[in-house]
Amino acid sequence: MESWILTIVVFSPLVGAVLLMLMPNGGGLRRLAFGWSLVTLALAIYAVSSFLQAGPDENTYVLTAHVPWITGGDSSLGLVDIGYRVGVDAIGMWLIVLTAFLTPLAIWASFTAIREREREYYILLLFLQVGMLGVFCALDLLLFYVFFEFTLVPLFFLIGIWGGPEKRYAAFKFFIFTLAGSVLTFAGVVYLAYYAWSSGATTGGALTLSIEELTKLGQQGVFPYGVQWWIFLAFMAGFAVKVPLFPVHTWLPLAHTEAPTAGSVILAGVLLKLGTYGFCRLSIPILPEAAVGFAPFVAVLAIIGIIYAALAAWMQEDVKKLVAYSSVSHLGFCMLGLFSMKIAGVSGAVMYMINHGLSTGALFLVIGCIYERYHTRSIKKIGGLARQMPWMAFFLVFFTLSSIGLPGLNGFVGEFLVLLGTAISNTAGIEGDVGPLGYIYVIPAATGIILGAVYMLWMCRCVLFGPLNEPANTPDTSRGLTKDLTMREIGFLAPIALVCIFLGAYPKPLLESLEPAIARNILQLPEDRIAAILELDNEAEVVLIAEATDAVPPSEVRIVPAAALVPTDDFLTTPIDKINIASPETAKGGVADER
Amino acid sequence: MSIETLKACGIIILLAPLLGAILAGALGRAALRGATHFVVIGGVGTAAVFAFVLFGEVLGAHGEGVSETIPIYNWLTAGGGKWFEVEFLIDPLTAVMLVTVTFISTLVVIYSRDYMRHGDHPESGYERFFAYLGLFVFSMCALVLGGNFLLLYLGWEAVGLCSYLLIGFYYPKPEAAAAAKKAFLVNRVGDFGFGLGIFLIYITFGTLNYGAVFDAIEQGLADGTLETGRLTAIALLLLCGACGKSAQLPLHVWLPDAMEGPSPVSALIHAATMVTAGIYMVARCGAIFTASTTAMTVVAIIGAATAFFAATVALTQTDMKRILAYSTISQLGYMFLGLGVFAAGSAVFHLFTHAFFKALLFLGAGSVMHAMGGIIDVRQFGGLRKLLPWTFLTFMIGALALAGFPFTSGFFSKDEIIHHAFSAHWLFGAVGLVTAVMTAFYTFRMVFLAFFGEERVPEGVHAHESGPWMLFPLIVLSVGALGVGYLGFPGHNFHHFLEPVFEKTFLAHGAHAGHAVQDAVHGGSEVAKHAASFWSKYGLLFISGALSILAIMAAWGVYGRQPWIADMVRASAPKAYNLLHNKYYVDEFYDRTIVRPLRTLGRICVGLDNYLVDGLIFVITWIPRGLGYALSLLQRGPVQGYGLTMALGLVLIIWFVLAG
Repeated sequence: MESWILTIVVFSPLVGAVLLMLMPNGGGLRRLAFGWSLVTLALAIYAVSSFLQAGPDENTYVLTAHVPWITGGDSSLGLVDIGYRVGVDAIGMWLIVLTAFLTPLAIWASFTAIREREREYYILLLFLQVGMLGVFCALDLLLFYVFFEFTLVPLFFLIGIWGGPEKRYAAFKFFIFTLAGSVLTFAGVVYLAYYAWSSGATTGGALTLSIEELTKLGQQGVFPYGVQWWIFLAFMAGFAVKVPLFPVHTWLPLAHTEAPTAGSVILAGVLLKLGTYGFCRLSIPILPEAAVGFAPFVAVLAIIGIIYAALAAWMQEDVKKLVAYSSVSHLGFCMLGLFSMKIAGVSGAVMYMINHGLSTGALFLVIGCIYERYHTRSIKKIGGLARQMPWMAFFLVFFTLSSIGLPGLNGFVGEFLVLLGTAISNTAGIEGDVGPLGYIYVIPAATGIILGAVYMLWMCRCVLFGPLNEPANTPDTSRGLTKDLTMREIGFLAPIALVCIFLGAYPKPLLESLEPAIARNILQLPEDRIAAILELDNEAEVVLIAEATDAVPPSEVRIVPAAALVPTDDFLTTPIDKINIASPETAKGGVADER
Repeated sequence: MSIETLKACGIIILLAPLLGAILAGALGRAALRGATHFVVIGGVGTAAVFAFVLFGEVLGAHGEGVSETIPIYNWLTAGGGKWFEVEFLIDPLTAVMLVTVTFISTLVVIYSRDYMRHGDHPESGYERFFAYLGLFVFSMCALVLGGNFLLLYLGWEAVGLCSYLLIGFYYPKPEAAAAAKKAFLVNRVGDFGFGLGIFLIYITFGTLNYGAVFDAIEQGLADGTLETGRLTAIALLLLCGACGKSAQLPLHVWLPDAMEGPSPVSALIHAATMVTAGIYMVARCGAIFTASTTAMTVVAIIGAATAFFAATVALTQTDMKRILAYSTISQLGYMFLGLGVFAAGSAVFHLFTHAFFKALLFLGAGSVMHAMGGIIDVRQFGGLRKLLPWTFLTFMIGALALAGFPFTSGFFSKDEIIHHAFSAHWLFGAVGLVTAVMTAFYTFRMVFLAFFGEERVPEGVHAHESGPWMLFPLIVLSVGALGVGYLGFPGHNFHHFLEPVFEKTFLAHGAHAGHAVQDAVHGGSEVAKHAASFWSKYGLLFISGALSILAIMAAWGVYGRQPWIADMVRASAPKAYNLLHNKYYVDEFYDRTIVRPLRTLGRICVGLDNYLVDGLIFVITWIPRGLGYALSLLQRGPVQGYGLTMALGLVLIIWFVLAG
């Protein structure tokens, strides 16, 4: 059954943009942009309700729609099957909600900051939203790539026109970096489609770019390792720049510093996730062997990024640059979780995408509030603002805590699950084979938790605490600003804070919905296993299924209580891929055969 | 005992203080203002009442092996259909901790009502202060109630946050802001190990639930499938966290600085409750620790070393709160020593008595500070006993208990630990005794300097005794400091109550490791009881009591009568004095070996980022540019050039054709 709700959500900002073009100048422009982004949010929430009704637990993708786009039967290539295909699973759905949630807040935050060329500004923001929403529901590689690249253009102008003193250079660098990377990605896409077609395994022998079909082929082993290797590398060139992964991250601090507040919020909140989403949606499922092969390499880059960017963040004078470097560090965690190839790790990575979008986006909003009043972000020029701006201080500390992973707030959920997934990556379980990472990766990555606290608390101390320090003739209270936050500013920060608390205390709805999506679409577990996992979800007792390995023949595979599982190996040197079952007869709760 | 009652109690104990905190935070500034303390006293008081109800339930069911795991809801997924739950574990240890935490908290919140105002005016941030206190009680109760390692970690970090917020309460003061940050970061270093330990537990046992993990250990050890090496690794990693939270060597550096916070905070968080989380954790994880001799030895050594080290530093400090801070570190060392020599019951008993007398001392110091207009250096005042009679009396009781004066609560609990230490190794016992002597000495040095001698107050200070809101908690606590020791001696009721918790771990392993004597003191098996002679039971009590009195008399001799002796000692060994006075230069050492190298590394990273990484990228971007330039040379316009190129091309083609 076709469903057009996603299409409506994706292109709704475009309608808003058209309306903006028709509006007369004045304050109505920003109100219209804000109002329309709220309409999009409402549509996205409606989409969630249809999504939940459509049975996401049983299907790969739901709310799907397909319109043939580039097709034909008589060309030299044979049948061509490139289409407008959309659809979501839980991963895409929650990221769409994140995008629809952050955009109105970013627009609202621009009300006082942007007073030049407002029409173009809001139109570009809405264009940007179209691109982002599109990526998260595209199920055709060409469509994905079009949306992916389309986000570049509006952001290039947003930085280049409304940015800071070095805006031209920043916009240029941002554009060159991301474009250079994604050109290679496109080469990978072409090669992938060509190889799939030439292998003759596609449906009807067509040249297809359907993500679902290519994923299926990838799982069937149509692509030999050598081919996968090259395509993975090509995909990585584009996605790694976007994430950004060390060492191709240098465009990000600059782009963030120069971008207007809303640009930074969207950039950190959503655009960086396009990279991780690409890895998660394309690289891992379509190229499973190469993904496992590359995992240690990617993980090492991620860990270097975590530590390196944290140390660099600590040295920054510009608060915004500090938070920008913190993004590099945080996204390293996200990558680590993705490549753990375990449900816990990938769930953690997806939660990390959402949480990082919320807390870092909010940090940029708070910094924007400071900047509007003091026209500087240097910790040398401002300090001790807590007494003067108690509300601002509250939010800055709150989002700092969320960002450094305080348990009970959202950041912890992602961080913990990522590290957990990494730690258990090389153990076998219900989720299948031994994954590529392991406990040894957790040790250096976890230092990032210390360093994260180091630089964030350093920033809080400098900006908020100590004796008051402010430049002459500030705070600037023109344009309806007050010394502390205005109601409008509290209005766009408070919703994020509430969501942070909710996701920290009760992330179950998200985690529960992510589990089948990740098991089926990312890790590509067999259906019987997914069914077992979903069934286990409803059981209170903790159980673990031993996996068939060399030591344990398939006939021995059975469900046993976790308490009966005993490891045998030296934990640091040997992966725990052999699970000893300490006398199944004595194990409590009975022993049931899996199959 | 009904599970429903326990569950309801647990939920109320958690939510009442949280609600108080939220109300104080949300409405404090707008509506409640000077009356904010009511909501938090109400919330924390309710928690205390229900903690007693819960305690009664556990006590009433005693003998039936009370250890209930009560699930509340699913929190985090572990992948593959497993969930980490929000769940309570309620057993005697939980009950004791809850009662201690909520009771002391209630008194401290009451005390803060007057402490946090000048005259009749609430200090600025009054609402914030009470909101933080409520949040702290919530977090601490969550830590104690949690039924798995993940919730322990949650509580662990949350109390750390409250500590951070409260140390930095006077944030415009740079020292306070720095101390707050330091406390959080040092704790994060410990939590790094703690977190790795939790992951290792999960890898090993596939669960984080206390009961399941401890059962698996028992089973694994019984059938020999579990290596103790793994358990040692887990125990040592967890111990990192405990060293951070409970300010043990080498992570003790944050606690003295934490005294920048208001005195009630020092009393509640940095003496009575939060810093004991490490002891609680080790006691709770007895199954892990006692299975590893190495880990237990490390615990005992860290405890003994910290007790001794901190006591020597306390001898030379002049700030009353810092003296008390080092004394706290030292007493926590005693508790670790107790755990390390398998006397978990005694360690928890000392935790319990210490909560009373140390909170009393800090609140007393706060009362002095309040009277002296914020000055707390004992060199600047003296002879206050007439000016502040109630403060003096209660402070004296607390000091006696800390010094281990016969028949106060500290006397009984400390003696038990020293007793067990002797039965483990004479060296541990000797360190315990020497430290006890030093404790008595520095405590009374402070008492004599502050309350005896000539009456002196700092200039311009109008000294006055504190009001009833502050005196009431002091009096209640001094009754506790005198009396709670009798819960553990001579009837051993306290130990009997905790016995089910430690039965299979500390008690079993302790007996196994040749600590039969301790069973005698614990009132364990009948045989052991008869075997122990009167002297081995009570001999040490006499010795330590006598030493404590002697040390107090020595302190009186020096600081009460002949202060020149102190000057002479100081002058005769300036190097030793400076070493102690400067806390063995540990802060400076960390600054040089960790902080500065890390900052240098950070600068290198920034340098790399700005030049090398970016430079490399730009070298790469030069390739197409260079290529473009090279190709553009071919198309500059002159016809001759094109002609040449065409001719060359033609030659090449002909050559290809002919050669091919």
